[in-house]
Amino acid sequence: MSVALANQSTWESLSHGRPGFIRFGAYLGLILGAVGLAFYGSGGYDQQQYLFQLFSGQGLIWCGTGAIIGALSSAVLSTLRPSIADAKIATNLVSWLDGAALLLLLTALLAQFEPPKSMISFNDQSNLFSGRVIMTMNVVFIFSAVSYIAYLFAPDSFIGRLGTWTAWAGVYAGGSALLLRWHESYLINTDIGHAPVSNLYEVFILLCCVTTIVYLTLERRYQAKAMGAFVMFLVAAAVFFDIWLASVGEASIKPLVPALQSYWMKIHVPMNFVGYGSFSVACGAGMAYLWRSRLEARGSNARVLAVMPTLDQLDQLAYKAVAIGFPAFTLATILGAAWAAEAWGGYWSWDPKETWALIVWLTYGAYLHARVSHGWHGRGLAWWAVAGFLVTLFCFLGVNMYLSGLHSYGRLS
Amino acid sequence: MNNLNESLKQMFVRLGSMTLAVAILCVLAIASVIGTVLLQNQEQADYLNQFGQLWYWTFRSLGLFDMYHTWWFLTLLAFLMVSLAVCLWRNVPHMLKEMRMRKVVITDKSLKHFHHLHHWKLGDGADMADVKRLAERELSGWETLEAEKDGAIYLRGDKGRFHKWGYILAHAAVLIILIGGWISVHYGFRGNMSVPEGQSDNEIEFLRGTAVHHLQMPFSVRCNSFHIAFYPSGPPKEFRSNLSIIDHGKVVMTKDIIVNEPLKYKGVRIYQASFGDGGSAITLKLFGLDGSEKVDTVKTRVYQTWKDPKTGVSLEITDFRPFNIENMAGAGQPKDFHDLGPAVEFIVRGPGLKPVKIKSYMNPFVYDGQNRGTLMEVSESGDGKDYQPFLLGLDFTNPKEWELFHAFVHAAANLGGSNTKEERFKAFNAALKQVYGDKRPKDFQDLGVRLLQGMNSLPRIPWPFIPILDDYDQVYYTGLQLTEDPGMNVVWTGSVLLVLGLCIMFYMPHRKLWLVIRPAGKGEGLEVSVAGMTNRNLLGFEKEFQALQARLNATFESS
Ligand code: HEM
Repeated sequence: MSVALANQSTWESLSHGRPGFIRFGAYLGLILGAVGLAFYGSGGYDQQQYLFQLFSGQGLIWCGTGAIIGALSSAVLSTLRPSIADAKIATNLVSWLDGAALLLLLTALLAQFEPPKSMISFNDQSNLFSGRVIMTMNVVFIFSAVSYIAYLFAPDSFIGRLGTWTAWAGVYAGGSALLLRWHESYLINTDIGHAPVSNLYEVFILLCCVTTIVYLTLERRYQAKAMGAFVMFLVAAAVFFDIWLASVGEASIKPLVPALQSYWMKIHVPMNFVGYGSFSVACGAGMAYLWRSRLEARGSNARVLAVMPTLDQLDQLAYKAVAIGFPAFTLATILGAAWAAEAWGGYWSWDPKETWALIVWLTYGAYLHARVSHGWHGRGLAWWAVAGFLVTLFCFLGVNMYLSGLHSYGRLS
Repeated sequence: MNNLNESLKQMFVRLGSMTLAVAILCVLAIASVIGTVLLQNQEQADYLNQFGQLWYWTFRSLGLFDMYHTWWFLTLLAFLMVSLAVCLWRNVPHMLKEMRMRKVVITDKSLKHFHHLHHWKLGDGADMADVKRLAERELSGWETLEAEKDGAIYLRGDKGRFHKWGYILAHAAVLIILIGGWISVHYGFRGNMSVPEGQSDNEIEFLRGTAVHHLQMPFSVRCNSFHIAFYPSGPPKEFRSNLSIIDHGKVVMTKDIIVNEPLKYKGVRIYQASFGDGGSAITLKLFGLDGSEKVDTVKTRVYQTWKDPKTGVSLEITDFRPFNIENMAGAGQPKDFHDLGPAVEFIVRGPGLKPVKIKSYMNPFVYDGQNRGTLMEVSESGDGKDYQPFLLGLDFTNPKEWELFHAFVHAAANLGGSNTKEERFKAFNAALKQVYGDKRPKDFQDLGVRLLQGMNSLPRIPWPFIPILDDYDQVYYTGLQLTEDPGMNVVWTGSVLLVLGLCIMFYMPHRKLWLVIRPAGKGEGLEVSVAGMTNRNLLGFEKEFQALQARLNATFESS
């Protein structure tokens, strides 16, 4: 793994300097416009109506004006003080915002393929277009996993790139499918409408996407391609689980029980999955570590050893992933506690799901301390990352299946 | 004495050690698992049933049925607190000192040990001040200090100099959260109150350990009404209670609450937690099965037991529901939801009778536009999951059908009891004539089907009468949860600090950089060294360092 220097592609140059900064300003303005609409738009804020407002003429005016003002002011700012155009926040965030914008555009495009409203019914959801997009995501992710695994045995740069591309394609398919489902839930009935993070099927799609995004970010920054086989293998496993869920009829959009009707759900659940996704990536890094150390111990001279991150780097990558996941998971757990405090009157009630979140948190907390204290090294920590993932898996799957409690939303029936 | 001091000191060191931190975290994690596998705070009898004498008493003496409040679990948490406190106590002073102290001059010997290190040799013409100026420009993002010693210029750059604050904040935050939790447990309460519509209550009930406790509130809560809204497909959409707070005999507040939107009064929050039947008035009709055609009316309430003085058969009313939305489609078919209407549940007991649970519907079961008679569901085990539908055949809302049934039975008996199809048809016609005269009902064919079904099912009923729901006056109770939690804000403060601290710890690593410019020797130009180190995110720093190195390279070359 060589650290890439100064080989900025044209695309990257677009997100640095003034072009990037102006876009950043535009996005910021757009977001402020949307927030402004929520607070000051005519008719006021209404959870059920806000999405429709956003995509109406009024929304266009608010967001468009915001975007234009944002772009203009950042253009002026960057002329007055050219150094500001390289502000770290802007260069780091603008590619994420680009991605989000692209995702929204893609969703808007795909939404054109929805059946007419009269054909949409709660009882038969098989004609909804998101189903087909999810199928695409499944195929693409599995293809990506296969490419990455092939790359381990034939480290050809084309195969590697194919893996990366398809992984990104899967992320966009999955992301837009979720947004479509959000839209569809409102099409079925505005009373039913809710964010697509309310059942196991939906959160598994989210998990696949988040895991892939975390991995791809690390891959791009640290050229850790050979680790992809391990991460995408996990993603493919999740895809198969989702296919199974769909086959037993768990894929349909269902109304929310009263306990879940809260804006907290929209923040708490996705945040949790940033944690889960990062921990899966850490597990992938751990598995890659164990594999490599096995190869090295055997004195193998497989070609992949030359392109694979070194043991030290893999160790660092697992740590990086946990470093993303741990604060996110901490925040998610705190948000969950805040929700519980608001909905049930106590921030902590030792409900099995809560307790397992604590167990996951303690496991990775211990992992971080074990790292610093030098008592544990290399293989031990790699095993810890893998074991930590098993604990995580139980937390978000096992608890729903085997234990009872307040978080029964994901229960398999 | 000295010895004691020594060992105390030793203990102190141990308490703050990292190994102990790892150990405590792991032990807490493992201990927490137990309470999720063993259902907590259930009925003791259920535990005894499940585990048998030996294990029940073993588990019980370890407090495993209310594990998170046992002395040993709380001791573990206290241990974590002590360990955190000791660890902060020991580390904070030198961390603060380290953040304040920034050594600029660095010895050659320590320079050699740097992992990130690069040297340049600049040609003869280079001027130290110029080089310094150029280098400083490249270090614009760094907080720099400079010093001169022995003819060499030292520049020190820092990024994320306050990194250690992350450690302090995060660990102090965990301590604060635990303290907040302790305050919540000791000075707060959390309990339940069930208030039937139209009534009020001022006492909550809660579990401490395995015993139920009661606590008087400084005000009472009246439930004015309770309402459920349903989705078209059946599941409940909203539970809404209209409550009045009564303080010193006066209504001080009237407000609706729903799940996720509690109300607050005098520091107590009131949450919508559950609901149930609040003792609805139930009218049952008892259709006698002794052949006498007699119909009795019984008025009772949910949660009451009515006993027939003559036969000793009793009906214990357990629940009532005004809506019963069911999916009528077969497996694999698109769903098809229907409301079967009001139903009452009761347990029938009596001498010589096997107790069974019954769910009796008020309305006849109409499917595909066809009236299939009154429906009853029977559960032999008493469990709601085991209900089996039992069609009575007759539509008991129509008194004429009961009459018709008896007319038919008599007519059939008069005809000699031979059971051919023609005979039955004749009896049916005779009965129709007797009950309806010449005006046959339009759906008389369906009626015939119902009658035959009734002939089949009614004789199978072992009780002296068939209880059918006739009328009701529904009353809900609303299940409220009342809490007061003075530790909550402490916990939120700790939480904010924790997240803040973690972000600093992970995303603002302390990066240090030294740049040394010195004459390489007489007439040999200058030697520039740059060295860097970090305490976190080695990969990121490697990139950053190499980029800096490349920029310096370019600057020096072009100069
Ligand atoms: C639940 C409790 C705790 C949490 C959430 C926590 C969290 C953390 C985290 C996230 C780190 C940073 C690790 C890294 O940067 O890789 C850390 C470091 C550390 N923790 Fe804890 N910790 C906890 C308890 C403890 C306890 C009980 C001790 C001491 C007995 C302790 C001592 C330390 C020390 C000495 C460091 C290294 C600081 C440094 O060198 O920067 N921690 N802790």
